[in-house]
Amino acid sequence: MADTETTFDLAVLGSGPGGYTAAFRAADLGLNVALIERWPSLGGVCLNVGCIPSKALLHAAKVIDEAEEMSAHGISFGTPSIETDKLNHWKQSVVNRLTGGLTQLAKQRKVTVIQGTGKFIDAHNLSVVDESQTETNVSFKQCVIAAGSEPVILPGLPDDPRIVDSTGALEIDPMPDSLLIVGGGIIGLELGSVYAALGSKVTVVELTDQLMPGADPDLVRPLTKRFKSRFADILLGTKVTGMTSESDGIRVSFEGKADIDSALFDRVLVAVGRRPNGAAIAADAAGVHIDERGFVPVDKRMRTNVDHIFAIGDIVGQPMLAHKATHEAKVAAEVAAGHKSVFDARVIPSVAYTDPEIAWVGLTELDAKRDGIAYEKGQFPWAASGRSLAMARDEGFTKVLFDPTDGRVLGGGIVGPNAGDLIAEVAFAVEMGADASDIGLTIHPHPTLSETVAMAAEAFEGTLTDLYMPKRRA
Amino acid sequence: MASEIEIRVPDIGDFSDVEVIEVLVAAGDTVALDDGLVTLETDKASMEVPSTEAGEVVSVSVNVGDTISEGDVVAIVRTAAETVEESEPTTEPETSAPAEEAVAPVDEESTPSTGVGVETVVVPDIGDFDGVDVIEVSVSVGDEVAIDDALITLETDKASMDVPSTVAGTITALHVSVGDQVAEGAVIAEIQSTATAEPVPAAAPPPKLAAAAPVSTPQPPVESTPKTAAPAAKSSAVDEAGFSKAHASPSIRKLARELGVDLVRVKGTGHKGRIIAEDLKRWVKDQLSGGSAGQGASLPAVPTVDFAKFGEITETPLTRIQKISGPRLQASWINLPHVTQHDLADITDMDARRKALKSTAAERGIKLTPLAFIMRAVVQTLQTYPRMNSSLSADGGSLIEKHYMNIGFAADTENGLVVPVIHDADKMDVYELAQALAELSALARDGKLKPQQMQGATFTISSLGGIGGTAFTPIVNAPEVGILGVSKSSMQPIWDGEQFQPRLMLPLSLSYDHRVIDGALAVRFTTQLAQCLANVDGLMQAIP
Repeated sequence: MADTETTFDLAVLGSGPGGYTAAFRAADLGLNVALIERWPSLGGVCLNVGCIPSKALLHAAKVIDEAEEMSAHGISFGTPSIETDKLNHWKQSVVNRLTGGLTQLAKQRKVTVIQGTGKFIDAHNLSVVDESQTETNVSFKQCVIAAGSEPVILPGLPDDPRIVDSTGALEIDPMPDSLLIVGGGIIGLELGSVYAALGSKVTVVELTDQLMPGADPDLVRPLTKRFKSRFADILLGTKVTGMTSESDGIRVSFEGKADIDSALFDRVLVAVGRRPNGAAIAADAAGVHIDERGFVPVDKRMRTNVDHIFAIGDIVGQPMLAHKATHEAKVAAEVAAGHKSVFDARVIPSVAYTDPEIAWVGLTELDAKRDGIAYEKGQFPWAASGRSLAMARDEGFTKVLFDPTDGRVLGGGIVGPNAGDLIAEVAFAVEMGADASDIGLTIHPHPTLSETVAMAAEAFEGTLTDLYMPKRRA
Repeated sequence: MASEIEIRVPDIGDFSDVEVIEVLVAAGDTVALDDGLVTLETDKASMEVPSTEAGEVVSVSVNVGDTISEGDVVAIVRTAAETVEESEPTTEPETSAPAEEAVAPVDEESTPSTGVGVETVVVPDIGDFDGVDVIEVSVSVGDEVAIDDALITLETDKASMDVPSTVAGTITALHVSVGDQVAEGAVIAEIQSTATAEPVPAAAPPPKLAAAAPVSTPQPPVESTPKTAAPAAKSSAVDEAGFSKAHASPSIRKLARELGVDLVRVKGTGHKGRIIAEDLKRWVKDQLSGGSAGQGASLPAVPTVDFAKFGEITETPLTRIQKISGPRLQASWINLPHVTQHDLADITDMDARRKALKSTAAERGIKLTPLAFIMRAVVQTLQTYPRMNSSLSADGGSLIEKHYMNIGFAADTENGLVVPVIHDADKMDVYELAQALAELSALARDGKLKPQQMQGATFTISSLGGIGGTAFTPIVNAPEVGILGVSKSSMQPIWDGEQFQPRLMLPLSLSYDHRVIDGALAVRFTTQLAQCLANVDGLMQAIP
């Protein structure tokens, strides 16, 4: 076994958004950093097989959908011809550009990138085994575990290449005629949107009674409505009881509210969640505690039970979101460098990049009702937004939840095109402790969708003029 | 010509609804100017409301138990015409004049000039920090700056802060560079002022705490990183639930974490009670100076008095040294149970020997002062009683004996009291001590003492004998446990068993920390010290 020449100030295990951020921040703070990544390119799931390639495909889907919709308003392009090779290639070029950029950034910061699968030997050493089975010993003073998560595999499924996870579904060649998505969460619905736009007959099966469980039902309703016209079927309250490989497809049997017992699909995407990679890193060798679900418990400074070993991102718990991981990464790197940073963010926004997009942050109405939290709501329907109508869309709305005592923003939810971009203002408002008048009195540019946030605040305040509303307050 | 005048409650400070506890006059009484009419009592003090007129009391408008405020009528007094004319020039309307007339303290330093000319910008009050690192210089010669533009960034171990320009204009010279250490008053830059006569804030803007991440040099992580770094202030655990609801933006929360401040304890002064950086800074300053902004037992406050009401005043800021030494003296005074032991030492022989040796010593460039002899005697006595050379551990649980003797001596300078330290004083004879005393005193007078020349003392001597006095009670320079005060020696008749002898007697006053030193030990110490001082041959012995 080879040893690295030096003992690194900080070893970062995993180069996803959390890992590379921790490595780069620590390097900027003067630490000598090793970044360990098992795949050939940096960036982790998000850049390689997650957020970024899926967004490229969603953009393609949106272009197709919008072109088609404009045919009703005087612009027709005809049926699109889809070259999946070119599409895949473009998607991959987007990924490569970003991951290549990361490699450059690592080089500029003199971060040592070590390729291979890392496992702890003890509390100050990692063994890294690369593809040629060469083992390197990486010694470190401190460590950040950023080993991420992977798709959950349902037990008892046949070993069949037509049953894929999200990673497999991002390779869209050949296009299936029919696709079953098991799991009506964000990942499944984003990919389902892509396949539907590209011409597949998409069916979604979801165990609970609502697509995107956890989001407020009113936010999901416009999405469900739109999917009904684009998807072959949406099976809610329905369980998959079995799958068998047949020569002309995968036979899937169902049980529950849906009135079909079984159906045949060309391809099946299993998107029932992700599980942390806690079990894969031999954390016990370093004395790091892993809970029974594979998560690594951490404190507000992102320390594990072992003082000099940190953990961040998907592996420390929900929500498994890149923007949570990067924030945690900076805290961990700063604490490792002797700062007194703490994970102090009050809210973490969630976004589904479906069409329409759904985004929410902070308090949801579901949470408020479950926990008995008092709130008042200001809501603005996009049917009254000139900009939304000019985009040929009217199903969206913006709602902001306020503390009834002082008007401070507690959270909000938005559904409609670009909701994910709009939610940042609500997140900022919560972090700044802004109240309804702070938002309402901030001049928002017209005509934009961002106005809808201000108008939701005005609706709460009773100062909104773009709608006629019963008088609420002076 | 007689007239009836209403006598009203004068400005009584920031009090209203103050209780009347006594009515001193009744209708028909004759009162002179400044005679008390009623007595008021606030929670701080009681005070009489004086008559602003001389004459006869027509009626009294208040009763005991009433609560009254400034401007309320207390009584009506009928004045005699001639009395009025006589008393008018001497009447002091100030007693009822509103406080606004008080002379505003003038702070020349903090008034930025608006005229055209070359102005210097200096490091403002940055709290009790000395030798602060310049980590960034944001401007260079020739740059145009506006008021409040950052010139340089300073970094203490607590925070980093920008020093803003107090002058608008063009930078003509820069006197600091990155890596320099500066203190309050250090000249940063010279600026050719271009400002017109537009109004500018009267006070120099305080340095802004950088809201962004402090750019401190990272401490190289060690193998066993402490679990949590000690918070800057003496705050205990942070109330996380309260912290998460505090009205503070993310950048302020980050700063609070760096400073170890629990936002629950900080009162916000920003818009709608928002906690802003200045609030954090003020809170930390209060904590550092032992203030009571936060938790913990606070001392009863000394009443605030508007001195300008009683005559002309001038207000001069304390010197930096005074600002530092004040809280330290107070800390010792509050924390240590002080006892002072007085004694007299017969220094007749010592003084004779000193005078005899003085001129030969002067030839060697040494000024042989009494203090050198006293210090030698102190060292000899400390060798017998090493407990006087010890300190309590910070937790008060153990005694730390120091196997070195560094003797501090209080030196009076123009800027205030400083205590230079003679290191390894036990290894020096009287001549060497005299020389060290002279050198350090000169440096102290010139304000050129280095920090290490004021650190590490194990015992301190405060000699006021050159000025006068018969005894005083010095304050222990904690965490030392003893300090020797020396007053002026005088010729006194001492009974030798047969007759009175004229002997030169030196008053000694030993204050000590009674937690460490017993009264018996203290008096043994002063007794032996007096014996050492009386034994001049012992003092002159060469150091082995």
